[in-house]
Amino acid sequence: MLPLSYALRNLFRDKSRLLQTVGGSALVVMLVMAAAALNGGMKQVLAASGSSRNAILLGAGSEESIQRSEVSAQLSGIAEATIRGVSKVMGRPAATAEIHYMSALHTADGEKGQALFRGVTPSALLVHPEVRLIDGTFPQAGEVMVGKLAWRKLGIAEDALMIGKKVLLDKSEMTISGVFAAPGTVMESEIWAVIGDLRMLAQRETVSCVVLRMDHPKYFSDAELFAQQRLDLELTAMRESDYYAALGDFYKPIRIMTWLTAGLVAAGAIFGGFNTLYAAFASRIRELATLQAIGFGRFAIFFSLMQESLVACLAGTLLASALALWLLDGMTIPFSIGAFTIGITPGVAVIGLVTGILLGILGSIPPAIRCLMPALPKALRS
Amino acid sequence: MITCKSISKSYTKGTNIVTPLENLDLEVGRGEFLALMGPSGSGKTTLLNLISGIDSPSSGSLIIDGENIASFSRKQLTAWRARKVGYIFQLYHLIPVLTAFENVELPLLITSMSKAERRQKAEEALEIVGLQDRSHHTPSELSGGQEQRVAIARALVADPALLVADEPTGDLDRESATMILELLQKLSRERGKTIVMVTHDARAAAAADRTLHLEKGKLLENEPHL
Repeated sequence: MLPLSYALRNLFRDKSRLLQTVGGSALVVMLVMAAAALNGGMKQVLAASGSSRNAILLGAGSEESIQRSEVSAQLSGIAEATIRGVSKVMGRPAATAEIHYMSALHTADGEKGQALFRGVTPSALLVHPEVRLIDGTFPQAGEVMVGKLAWRKLGIAEDALMIGKKVLLDKSEMTISGVFAAPGTVMESEIWAVIGDLRMLAQRETVSCVVLRMDHPKYFSDAELFAQQRLDLELTAMRESDYYAALGDFYKPIRIMTWLTAGLVAAGAIFGGFNTLYAAFASRIRELATLQAIGFGRFAIFFSLMQESLVACLAGTLLASALALWLLDGMTIPFSIGAFTIGITPGVAVIGLVTGILLGILGSIPPAIRCLMPALPKALRS
Repeated sequence: MITCKSISKSYTKGTNIVTPLENLDLEVGRGEFLALMGPSGSGKTTLLNLISGIDSPSSGSLIIDGENIASFSRKQLTAWRARKVGYIFQLYHLIPVLTAFENVELPLLITSMSKAERRQKAEEALEIVGLQDRSHHTPSELSGGQEQRVAIARALVADPALLVADEPTGDLDRESATMILELLQKLSRERGKTIVMVTHDARAAAAADRTLHLEKGKLLENEPHL
């Protein structure tokens, strides 16, 4: 085998080519890491947003969107009294009626964004235990509490949603009473108000759904049975986790597009990389032939060329990982129902590393084959 | 040492079949220093490539040191070259990123020698060509004559029985050329290396024990030197 030092020194023979190879591979690896982190972040936020212990009772035929659902405002009381297995916290049933309402929100500074409002009762905190009030108070009439990432979803300045600030919801002015966190869920991008206020704003007598927290996921069948028996209420029951999983499927084309875009840009960079490597190897055809004349087999030479390509691509991977950590890690991305945070997790880093290794190995094969194929006498004269 | 029997070499160029060597017979004794001369296109480099296992004949037998290499596969030829042949090129063909020592050590990396053995052999080879003090220099830091001496050291480091040289003095000034030819003579006479050298230069050919002239792929005459 040829020594590794031969491959390493060859890398520095043409610094501009080395720069192109490292830069190209860094671009590809970073794109793949970004696509993986983006998809992972979106999937994770949707998966974390729904609990398998929560049962949603919503209008039959509205399984794809709670916002379109309408159920009786009295349903919450009926359900918590009828359905077995609804959790109780200090004697209070963990059940809440909710209105999900998408509308424009105007800030006092004149900024505007499309927000997802959730009209709730105080019991919502029992149903969604991941929601924690981190500052201020739970809203009363005329007030709202905002999720920690709502400003990001709205695309407005963070301080526009500070406690005490006024916001306009349609034409109603409301005061921000609190800020809540719901780590890793879409709720963290929502704005919560008292259900009565939202019913007036949305001009509806009904609510969107009733959410029940069960003692155990197995009691969901009781909620399902209730929905099937009460034909008069025209209900359907869904696990909250299933609802968000279905939303995840809804966003699948977007995730595919992300991979496709990354793949297309990466393909361009890969072909550029092939060319750069081919140019680097082709400039040494006579040298490679000399090594064969001395007695090195083609595989030994190919292995050295692969080492060269691999080292350059791993340098690119390192650069891409550093850039991803610096630029992408912790970045919040808004999407239609909320926002999610990109994380350069160990999994994403492994995907980047595997991409870099594959680039280094596969990227060296076509140019190496082209440079090692010519007959030896011809290559020695080249 | 070398026995060529009716060897021919043909290849296709476009739609034509070119035959640079046809039914050639040749015997070279062990330890002999043979010069091959002839005009361009006479087939001398083709013959050298066949003898050194860089190319295979289209027909005929080519027995070197008891092995008929005409029937060897590309892989077998590669392994055979590593054991039996040292090649000296006109333009030295040193690896520019490696030092003189590392260039000389290259053929030993294919063997099972230890690092210490390799070091010893490479230093000996550099000593034979008188360049032990240049072992850490890269080719760009050496003169043409020194580069060719490093190339000779690389060719003989694995102790092959056969050395082939393609215009080894073609790119050198007279002084360096003389030094290289003296070195080749020394290797043949003192170390018993069989040397086949292609040259255009009659003065270089005069350094060999015998000169053969090739024209249109055929041997013209045998010319032993006294």
